[in-house]
Order: sequence, then C-alpha cells, then structure tokens
Amino acid sequence: MRVSLNWLHELLPGLPLQKYSLAEFTSRLDLTGTGVEGVISSGQALGGVMVGQVLVRDKHPNADSLWLCQVDVGGAEPLQIVCGAQNFKAGDKVPVATVGATLPGGVTIKKSKLRGEVSCGMNCSARELGVGEDHDGILILPEDAPVGAPFAQYYGLADTILDLEITPNRPDCLSMRGIAREFGAIFETEPAPLPQPELHESGAPVAQAATVTIDEPELCPRYTARVIRNVKIGPSPAWLAARVEAAGARSIDNVVDITNLVMFETGQPLHAFDLDTITRDNEGRAAVIIRRAHDGEHVTTLDGQDRALITSNLLITDPAGPITLAGVMGAEHTEITEATTNIFLEAAVFDPETTSRTSRRLGLLSEASMRYERGVDRCYTPAALDRAAALMAEIAGGEVAPGIIDVYPGPYVAPRLTLRHERLTTLVGEEIPFDFCVESLGRLGLQPEPDPATRTIAVAIPAFRPDLEREVDLIEEVLRLWGMERITATLPGAQAHAGGLTRNQELERRIGEILRASGCNETMTVPFGDPADYAAFSREASTEAPFVELHNPMSSEQSILRESLLPNLLHSVAHNLAHGVSNVQLYEIGSVFRTAPGRKLPREQKRGCVVLTGAWHDARWNDPAVPLDFFDAKGIYENLIAALHIERAQFKPPATDDAYPWLQPGRAAEIRLGGNVVGVIGELHPSLLERFEIATPTTIFDFELDKFIKAAHDQLVLTAPSRYPSIMFDLALIVDASTTAESLTQRITSLGKKTPLASVELFDVYTGKGIDPGSKSLAFHLLYADPERTLSTEEVEAQHSRLVQTLLTQTGARLR
Amino acid sequence: MTITDELQELYEQGLAAFKDATDPASLEAARVAWLGKKSALTSTLRGLGQLAADMRATVGQHANEVRGQLEEAYQQRKAALADAALAAKIQSGRLDVSLPGRSRPIGTQHLINAIADEVSEIFFGLGYRLAQGPEVEDDFHNFTALNHSPMHPARSASDTFYVRDLSEEAATFDGPEPSEVLMRTHTSPVQIRTMQASKPPIYIISPGKVYRRDIADPTHLPQFTQMEGLAVDEHLTFADLKGTLDYVVKKIFGEERSTRFRPHFFPFTEPSAEVDVSCEICHGAGCRFCKGTGWIEILGCGMVDPNVLVNVGIDPERYQGFAFGMGVERIAALRYDLPDIRLLIEGDMRFLRQF
Repeated sequence: MRVSLNWLHELLPGLPLQKYSLAEFTSRLDLTGTGVEGVISSGQALGGVMVGQVLVRDKHPNADSLWLCQVDVGGAEPLQIVCGAQNFKAGDKVPVATVGATLPGGVTIKKSKLRGEVSCGMNCSARELGVGEDHDGILILPEDAPVGAPFAQYYGLADTILDLEITPNRPDCLSMRGIAREFGAIFETEPAPLPQPELHESGAPVAQAATVTIDEPELCPRYTARVIRNVKIGPSPAWLAARVEAAGARSIDNVVDITNLVMFETGQPLHAFDLDTITRDNEGRAAVIIRRAHDGEHVTTLDGQDRALITSNLLITDPAGPITLAGVMGAEHTEITEATTNIFLEAAVFDPETTSRTSRRLGLLSEASMRYERGVDRCYTPAALDRAAALMAEIAGGEVAPGIIDVYPGPYVAPRLTLRHERLTTLVGEEIPFDFCVESLGRLGLQPEPDPATRTIAVAIPAFRPDLEREVDLIEEVLRLWGMERITATLPGAQAHAGGLTRNQELERRIGEILRASGCNETMTVPFGDPADYAAFSREASTEAPFVELHNPMSSEQSILRESLLPNLLHSVAHNLAHGVSNVQLYEIGSVFRTAPGRKLPREQKRGCVVLTGAWHDARWNDPAVPLDFFDAKGIYENLIAALHIERAQFKPPATDDAYPWLQPGRAAEIRLGGNVVGVIGELHPSLLERFEIATPTTIFDFELDKFIKAAHDQLVLTAPSRYPSIMFDLALIVDASTTAESLTQRITSLGKKTPLASVELFDVYTGKGIDPGSKSLAFHLLYADPERTLSTEEVEAQHSRLVQTLLTQTGARLR
Repeated sequence: MTITDELQELYEQGLAAFKDATDPASLEAARVAWLGKKSALTSTLRGLGQLAADMRATVGQHANEVRGQLEEAYQQRKAALADAALAAKIQSGRLDVSLPGRSRPIGTQHLINAIADEVSEIFFGLGYRLAQGPEVEDDFHNFTALNHSPMHPARSASDTFYVRDLSEEAATFDGPEPSEVLMRTHTSPVQIRTMQASKPPIYIISPGKVYRRDIADPTHLPQFTQMEGLAVDEHLTFADLKGTLDYVVKKIFGEERSTRFRPHFFPFTEPSAEVDVSCEICHGAGCRFCKGTGWIEILGCGMVDPNVLVNVGIDPERYQGFAFGMGVERIAALRYDLPDIRLLIEGDMRFLRQF
C-alpha cells in the first residue's frame, strides 16, 4: 500500500511529521506492525527551481519587449535575469529556475547572453514547471512565499510516499481512511472527518433506471448502486491524476480515476458500467442480477480474454449474460468507453473466499480483488458510493440520479468481545496500564466500555476490523501500540523438562560423523527427481509402483520426488568433474519417497548415500593417488559397522547380476541385517555412468539409515587385551580362484576354536607368476594368545601344524 | 731394540692406526691388528714367559700399560666415530618441514546442517528436545490446523508444490488446489504433530527442509531449511518469548548484537512478531548491508494462537506458549555473505571442503 504523506496529512492533521525525522517516523511504524518497505520522495525533478523575488525590473537596453531583472533567490547576490514576460512587477514573488536546473520539458538552464546582457536563470510559467496549463506569463506566487525555498517543496509538489507492508489480516489498512485511523492510534491523534460529498441529485430516480436482484445473499451480503447521467469522459484534472498516481495507479480517465481514488481513500472497490450496455427488463430498467455462473458459461473480460466459467464463480449479470466477474474483472461489452454518457456505478461487498478463488483460478489479481479477498467494510459501502457520485458530478459533469439502490441481505452485526486485563498481563508477562488499553482500543475505533471493577473492557468490533475475533486479538492490539520493545525480556527456567537428543537422534548424528571421519563430505541435493534418470536405473513407473508425482513441478526434470539419493548425487559428481574437480567423495543423508495405489501421503524413508570417484587426493610428493574403488566404499561401511557396534551384518554378492542392473557385475554386494537387504555397495555400471556424463569409475554405498540405527549397540562385551606374549604364524595357501577370503577365514577360525587362536587376518592376495591360472594365493597372520598364561612355542607349533593339516584336508588348499 | 722400545713402537703404531681409522670397519680392522689375539702386542705378552724372571714383571707391567692405553684410545676413537656417524645421520636426516604432510583428508559437514546442529545445541541447553516430521504433508497439518484460512495465498499452487494423492479421497476432493497432499511449506506442521502426540510441557526445536515454488537463482531455492521452535507450558509469556529469542540470537550472532521485535501477522500465532538482529556492520546506525535500517530480519515468532491449541485439543485457558521459525540459509548467508545460495545444493567439492 502506497501512502502519500501529503494526502495522509489532510486526513490526519495531527500527524507529528515535524516532531520526528523520517527514520524515526518509519521506525515507529515498523515497531507497531506497519512495515515500511520503501520510502519514495517525489517532486525532486524541479531541483534548482527556487522561490525568488524580483527586486528590480528595468527595460532591456537592446530590446523593447524584454526586461532586465535583478532577482533575489536567497543567495548572497541577486541574479541578473533577462525575462520576456509582461505580467510581473518589481516586488513580485516568482519561481526561478537557476543555472543547472532541468525543467519538465527537458530544458536545462544555462548562463547565457540575450541581446548582449547576461542572464543567470529563468522566471518560469506554470506550464514550464508542469504545474498547470498557463503560459501567458510567469507564475506569480503569493506575497508570503519564502524567498530561497525550493519551489517544489513550497508548492506542495514535494511528497513522500511510504510503501507499506499491509499484513493480510488488516484489510482496513488498504485505505487512506484506515491508515489515518491506524496512524492516529500509533501517534495518538484524531483523524479529520473524510470529505463529505455534496450530492446534487437530478433527473429520473434511480429506481426507474435500474434494478438489482441478489440470488446469492451468502456470497453478496450488500450491493449498492447509483446512476449518473450525461457524464463527459475525459482526462482527469491534475490533482486527481496526481493522487491516483501517488497511490500507485495509472491515470486513465476521469471516471476510472474517481473509482480508483475512492477505493484508495475508503477501501471500497467500485465498478463503473456503461448503463446503456446493460440489458433492460420489461419496464426498461437495467436489470442487474447477482448469481453464480452456469456450467459452460463464458465471458469476455475487458482484457479481451474469453473466460470459461465454473459454478463457483460469482457473477454480476443482466438478462443477456455476465457483465462482471464479481469483484474480479468486468466484461468487455459493458466497459466505460469515450462514448459512454450514462454510468451504473456499483459499490458492493462479496464473499472473500469466492472472490479469492475466482481471481486465483483465472490469474486475475487486482487492487479490487485483493481488497475483496481480505474483506470489505460493508457498513461504509453507501458512503463510498456517494463520494464517487459527487466527484463524477463535479469533475465529469454528470447528473446524479436521485436515490440509491441498496440491497443488503446480510446486515452487519457487530460482535462483542471482552478483554480481561488480567489475561493480558498473564499472556504478555507484564502489566500494561488499564487506561492505556482503554485509550488504545478507542483510537482503533472499537468504542471500548471499560469496567474498572472487573478490570475488563467490552468492545464492539466494527466491520472494518474482521481480524478481531478473539480476546487475544485485542491483546495484540494493545501490545503492539504499547510497544513490544517496552516488555522486559525474561528467560524461562527449565522446569520439569530436559533437553537433548534421543538415542536414535544421537546415532543419526554419529553416522554422519563416521562418514566424515572416513573422508566423505556432506552435501545436500533437492528431493525432486527426473523420471528419465530413473529409467537409466531400470526403474519405470507402473500401476502397482507409481512414482510420487508432483502436480505442479518447476520442470519435467523435477517432476517426481526422489526414490533414491543416488541420481541427484551423480549429477553433483558430474558437476564436479565438469569443473575440473576429479576427486569426489560425497555423502548425503536425506529422505526418499515411495507411494502405492491407495496411499495418501507417500512413505518417507531416511537413507544415507556415499559416492566416490577419483582418489582420496591427488598424487603428492610422498603419497601416490590411489584410485577409489569398491573396497574404499566397503571400508567406510566397515567403519560404520565397527563404530556402531553392529553385529551379524551380512555382506554378500547379490544372488544374480540382474538384481542391480545399474551396478557393474562382480563388483557389487548387498548388506543384510536380520535377513533384510538394508544397503548396497558397488561400482556403477559403465553404461549408467555414461548417462550421467561421468567418465571415471564411481563407487557407491547406499543404505537405509534407520536399519543401521536400530542394529546399533551402545557397547559390546569388553575383551581385555592379554598381558602374556602371543605367538604369530603366517600361513600362505593356494586355493581355487572362486574360493572367497571370507569362507577360508571362517574355516580357519572355526578350526582354531580348540586352540589358543586369537585372531586370523588376511594380509595378502596374490595371483600371477608362480600360481596356476584359476588359482590364487591367500596369506594369513594367525595369532595365538592365552589371556591366562604364557604359551610355549612347542605346544603352539604342534597345535598350529594340526590345524593346517586339517585345513588342507578339508579344503583341498595347498601350502604355497 | 729392547723389548721396551718394541712396546713403545707398538704403542705408537697402534695409536696411529686407531687415529687413522675413519669408519667402524677400519677401526675394527685396526683393533684386530693391534689389540686382537694375533696382534704383536698379544704375541709380546705371550712371549713374556721366555724372559728372565727379573725382566718379566717390569716388561709385563709395561706391556699391560700399553695394552690398556691402546684399549682406551680405541674406545675413544670408537665413541668419536659413533658420535660423528650419529651427527652425520642427523645432518642427512634434516627435512624441509615446509613440505605438506601425509593424510587422508577428513570429510566436512554441510554448512546448513552444521548451523542447524549448532542452533539445536543452544536450544538443548534451554531444555528443548529435537522433533521431526514428514516432508510431504497433508493440508490439515500444514495449513488448516495452523489456522490458515481456506483462501490463504500460501495454499496457492503457484507457491506450494502439490503431490498426487493416490487414496480414494482424491476422487472426491473438491478444492481450488490440485490436491490435499503437499510438500510442507514450513516446519510448523511439526508443531501440530508434536502437540497431537504429547501433552505439555512441550519444548521442541525442529530443523528440517521445506519447499516453495521458487525458481533457483542467487537468492532463492525451491528448498530451504527452517528451524521451528515450540514451547507450550502453563506460564509461558510474551516476555519469555523475547528472553528466549534474545538469548538464542546472541548465541548465534554474538553477545554484542541486539534484537528488536516488530509486530507482524502469522495465522498460527497471536500476538505475532518478526525479529530483527542489529546489523553486524553498522551496529544499528544504518548502512548499505542492512539497507539503511540498522536491522536485519532474522525470524518470525509469536504466542501460539488459541485456535491452534484448540485444534490439537489443548486448553488455551490453561496452557499458553510460543512458537518461532528461522531460516538456516538466512543465517548462513549473513555469516558467510554467500554470493549465490545455489552453491548449497550443487555439491561442489571446492565449496564443501571449506567448512
């Protein structure tokens, strides 16, 4: 809402603009709930034009029709100015454009010589200054005009426009009338009464010209109208154009500008129809009917668009069809044109929700629809109508038909509320004086009735404050006018509640810490997905397993919700590679979404996903770059399992290569907890990488967060390290290439159960020279220790050698 | 040459040999040659028995003295060589310590989550617990229960992402929006879910992602992170809200900063306020950074609207409380003067590694 301070000052003469600096003034508004989003100073275009006084007026020595003047503009010396106008005399006060000033016509004043005499400025006519049409002579100012003052300021051209943020609960503040009331409450001063229209009615009564019928009283609680005849459409006078422009509208013509002016002034939207375009009834009266749209009905709105209507649209119609989308936009064929002479002027109140839905559905938001959807003061409707009609008579020469049409099926009943002073204190935490409460509510127009005995204040809520519904709304009014800054801040003590994370929340944080300690960098991607990406993962939507689709995505690449963190992470990998970053170790923890037929909300699952490509770091002087592969991802998984003390996690290749067609066969594994797959580790299939424009091998570790959290143990049973010496043997075995390290390790461990075997650790895997193709060598450290005593070499040697013999027999392995 | 002279000569020659030895090997060779079993000195000592008895004692004593002196010379030389060898080793072991170290870089936490954790910790200290809720919500939890009117503009499909509803209710749904299911537009539905699930006293902080239909540009993302706070108890007041947020804002931005509360409107709080923090650059005087106001908007808050309490079955005459919401990206942008918030979702390692 744009508020001209000049205009406001007329409505609120006590506004203490002199008392505060502009910054203090706007800060006071900010602190009482009217946000100041911008301050625009207008009238600055006439910089350099001053109020001057002609001291001397002599004949120009070289030209009969010119005058040589000495003009005081408040400087140390008067200026010599050559002037051709004839309408002034010495002593007159005149506007003087000094050297450097630029006039509205684009002329910049320079020091010049006219017929041999120096001229240091120009005395200006009204037209030259853009303040009027008169160009017969220079503008003569009143005698009391202050010499040396900037002309724009003196002449009232200088204005300050405040761009105010009006919160949606305050429809009253979408009018100068409401702003004056609000500012009056803030600055404790009384608004002046609004301009009272002097209405001279003539001609046939309105009842003979038009009728109004409301078919939908719920949606149109009040409809008032007047008829104005013999209007001359034309440009607005300067003051009217200036007012509507100050309020942010464009000046169109006198009738439109008047409807806008009255809307800005009173908050009541008005609509002017060409009376002669409205279809008549049998008695020759324009027959206006307010009803819902019929199915299939159409209207061409005044922007030329054909609009298909639905039954929830409220219409102003005549017997022939729609003439306006109520409160939203008029129909083209009833619009005011230059040829219009007779006007049917509407001031009505429509249901906020209906107006809002219609305007939003059609994408037609206007100053009027905005006011309707927030709520229009139904008690003020006739007054606004009279004000507009009077202006049309005055400015457009119209003749106002006697009488007013006022169909008012929903008369306003003022709700009554009671403010308990004690309740206010309880909610605010500090007492605000009772008298201040009474006074504030009074300034807001609520007619408070205080009862000092019960410390309560009864109020009647006027129609312009639909936001005041409960006692707490009144408490807010008092608090904001008192000043939130005056309330002493207190920090509440924590009684009977303790803060912090639950165990599961702590474990979730812990998982992030472990991933970071393992070298991964956390990132965040958007939760949207591209069906084409999922197709690359061989995931196509089906009836049984649809995607979670958005109705209104930003783009087709973001039309579904992600089912996996992976696709967007791969786009991040590609982004890095494209920017010359070849080592990427990213992880994300976030929600993925799945749905099924019959589901309302999708199922959300928190997952973690690691992607690795390149190396941990570039080759360094003492540390080569080792390409990241499957085992780096597995290492991160092992860190996770170890740090969360997860037991019995199974790590196995998938049953078939088809299980994960997007992973490279033979370089993938499933993680199972309690029999269920809870994660997967693998190198991505080269053809998938191609789709994401990733040129280097990339390994992922994707897992379901909650399953890891659930399997975590706080602590395992402690094993004290042995205080006695241990004995280690190395064992290198040649086995079939298909034998897994895990199976061999398990076999050794199992055979070692009857010996003091404490640990088995694989330390080398070898194929190549000296080993038959189809075989491989696996080498283990076997550590024997007894927590209770020192082992003798002989006994361990004997046990170890029996273990090895059994192992070789059982597995067919050979010693290397 | 007398045997004494011989011994003297052996002594001098041995001394010279030890002196000439420049490394452990030549010193060892010299030791063998001059002090070893086959050395001349050892032979001399062995030959003592052939001497006349009166000579034997004198020569023997002399020979042992020579042996002792040579032994000492050897030990000295050995120590000197060891010292020199150690010094040489140390000398050769000098490093250019300016060379980079050897490590696997540890990973970094995302800036936004780091700030969310940091702010959460402040609230844990005030007795708040962490609460979380779904990112896809229904209209009831996101709007209706939070006292949004049916035509509240935030419901508009131009502002809010709507999700296809696959339930049977979708067939009969007749609203101006495409669906009742949506991407939550704020973390406030967590308030509702928490109050539905538990009774006061309730003190929660709820960081989480929220979604609005903004085109990604340097200052907008369709996704951002909010931190919702809710406190409902028997005696919580507006003064407590001020005290809590003033404390938290100072913890986040610094003790020297101040706050101011501007009355505002939110459907789910009454009274409501926006909170500004004093500008870091000008400390309230007004500068370009704060657009001349001296203040920077940082969060929205208010006393929980009685309608919201009634919607979740809490008696507003018995319990009252406050709620607030702050944007984590906003805090990040203020702290780091982020030139482009799209950096937050690109996963660029050069950006992430800085935190």
